[in-house]
Amino acid sequence: MSARSKRMHRWSGWLFVSPWLLGLALLFVYPFVASLIWSFTEYDLLTSPRFVGIDHYERIVREIIQGKGFGKALWNTFYYAAVSIPLSIMLAIGLAVMLNWKVRGQAFFRTLFYLPSMVPMVASSILWLWLLDPRDGMVNGLLGFVYETPPLWFQGIQEGMSFSSPLQFGSKDGLTLMSLWGVGNFMLIYLAALGDVDASLYQAAELDGAGWLRKFRYITLPMLSPIIFFNLILGIIQSVQAFTQVYIVSEGTGQPAEASLLISLQLFLTAFRDLEMGYASAIAWVLFVVLALATWGLFRSSRNWVHYRGVRM
Amino acid sequence: MFQRIMLAMLLILAGIVAVWGATISLTNELPADREEVVFWHFWSGPDGEIVDEVVTRFNQSQDMYYVRAVSMPGNNFDMKLFLSITGGAPPDLINQDDPIVADWAFRGAIYSMEEIAPPGEVEQMKSWLLPSALSLGEYNDRLFAVCNGLDIRALYFNRELVEQALAEVAPVELESVEQLDRIAELCTKYTEGELSQIGYLPDPRRLWAWGPVFGGDFYDEQTGQVTANDESIVKALDWMTGYRKRLGANAVATYRQNDQSLPNKMFPLLAQRYAVILDGQWRVRDIEAAQQASRAEDQPVTPYGVWPLPSKSRRGKAGWVNGNVFLVPRHAKNPKGAWEFIKFWTGMEGHEKDAAKLCAAGGWIPVSKQVAESEEFQTYLNAHPLFARFVEFAATDQVPTPLVPGANRYYREVNNLVQRVLYDDKVVDLTAELSALDQMMQEHIDRIHQRPSFAEDHADE
Repeated sequence: MSARSKRMHRWSGWLFVSPWLLGLALLFVYPFVASLIWSFTEYDLLTSPRFVGIDHYERIVREIIQGKGFGKALWNTFYYAAVSIPLSIMLAIGLAVMLNWKVRGQAFFRTLFYLPSMVPMVASSILWLWLLDPRDGMVNGLLGFVYETPPLWFQGIQEGMSFSSPLQFGSKDGLTLMSLWGVGNFMLIYLAALGDVDASLYQAAELDGAGWLRKFRYITLPMLSPIIFFNLILGIIQSVQAFTQVYIVSEGTGQPAEASLLISLQLFLTAFRDLEMGYASAIAWVLFVVLALATWGLFRSSRNWVHYRGVRM
Repeated sequence: MFQRIMLAMLLILAGIVAVWGATISLTNELPADREEVVFWHFWSGPDGEIVDEVVTRFNQSQDMYYVRAVSMPGNNFDMKLFLSITGGAPPDLINQDDPIVADWAFRGAIYSMEEIAPPGEVEQMKSWLLPSALSLGEYNDRLFAVCNGLDIRALYFNRELVEQALAEVAPVELESVEQLDRIAELCTKYTEGELSQIGYLPDPRRLWAWGPVFGGDFYDEQTGQVTANDESIVKALDWMTGYRKRLGANAVATYRQNDQSLPNKMFPLLAQRYAVILDGQWRVRDIEAAQQASRAEDQPVTPYGVWPLPSKSRRGKAGWVNGNVFLVPRHAKNPKGAWEFIKFWTGMEGHEKDAAKLCAAGGWIPVSKQVAESEEFQTYLNAHPLFARFVEFAATDQVPTPLVPGANRYYREVNNLVQRVLYDDKVVDLTAELSALDQMMQEHIDRIHQRPSFAEDHADE
């Protein structure tokens, strides 16, 4: 190949990747850098940003200490993530294990349990508003046999998994239930992973006299651990990004009394309702750092519990 | 063969796109010698059709301007507007109903009418508008927004239920909140130990109404101080909390007013969940429709009435007003055309009949006394006596959410606080809670004020 054609070849390569590079620069790198700069400014979208140093970060620390504003949203998101992620993992694994049983109608059941995750978020949010209505909802109709005063769900500020109001489910618990409804995607990944587990492992365990619980504990779970790890990280990211469902059930305000104000909604309200783009950028950056730390922590811990093909990494 | 099929499909697709493109260009065609006025609003359905109608009438009356109305979802309206302003291509006129006028004015997102219209006409507009309508648009002695439809809240009541409970004819007006409490108590019913009907229940969003009724103010314009912990507002919140104490937080949250469980978000008064409820004039349409349906089915027609908020005994204001306002975004290409449309809509300069027709079609409260008193509108009021009461209340001293930068968040935070108090049985110190909110909002408003206002920022331009 001549030098000229080599050059042409190189240029055509750049030309082909240029749409992607342009997209990366405009839609990712620029906003990424701009938001970092804005986080040190007072910026309302309409007038030029004004440098304010670390004021926004100080405010974030203050609000975390007071448990207001960002502090409240951070707690709500933490609660939502802490309850919904383990539950969704357990439910998805449980369903995947059951749907892996060789029974008649296996394909039908697999489709049935996957279907809810295909329902658009807006439609499922409205459906859940009806299902979890404290007075006329179907869920409380059933819980009425157990509870003297049924949970308030999206109208309640209580936290059903907290010590202060145990099993008195409020709006965040409603959101958690909604997230479990869409567990089909996770389930599908577990199902695929289960098909990949070497049958000889189970046979060897059976020869050693292991029951189904032991096989599940010592074979299935370790073999699924890379997927659990993957879904755990994905779950954390999804919890922080949860917006549509929160916006719909709380009428865009995080009501009642900010009980369903997750970070993504707070960021939206701060940036586009209160016109505090600088502060919203600072929130986004703090969130980025928190997420990065959580992911790093998970990667560190994964050495102790994630097994790749039976080998602990 | 495959290539031929693909080619044929491509040709068909190109044809569809071409026809579609031609249709679009035809519908957007601007008449010759006319300047386009782009108007963004969030009305849709029957209200959207009424807006289209008034736009058509305006366009027919004009030989200079041509309004193109664009209906868009209200959820992210603000975000789209700011991006359009920042991008240098805003619409010429928008409609809004949030308490954002002062905030946007301070930041320079909108023109004051003094900047776009002759001074004489602005003065005429100020005297044309009802005081409550004017109060929604004036900030720093300038008119930044022109109200195009008032929203007034009053107490609807089911006459049958109230008269049964009182064992006498329902009063024309309530004398005091205590009288409302008595009626509420009498009308609250339990079936098999469970609450089945609420007499009255304060809506957490309406401390904004009850605060002024109790004689309180949320903001002191003279000193620039947030006064959420005003003694009268504390009393109003304490009064609202009384309902939670009597009924329990669970019942208050369950019987909330914006009940999603009712089919098509049915007005809870019609479902007989409430005997008395605080709501706006738009509910008259629902009531009349329900009454008409009962007549059509030869069923007994339930009579309803409306009371103004009982403010006299507390020497407070008549209530809380909000509404839709016209705003002209900064850098709009045709603000003068926008002003002409505003005058047409509000009925100024001989357009009373058009404005009356518009208000009657939409069931909207006119923003001007002259329009309300016009023959056309009086005919409408005679046919809709419940609505007539709201028009009457619009002329009383209704107060808006304070016109101060940051009011949007102030509005949200007050509602959050009231929800926290009403939806939880935990006993809280209301004064302390309102004082904490007061301090938080003062900091927020001060932070905004620390920025140079748009006027200061552009003083040298």
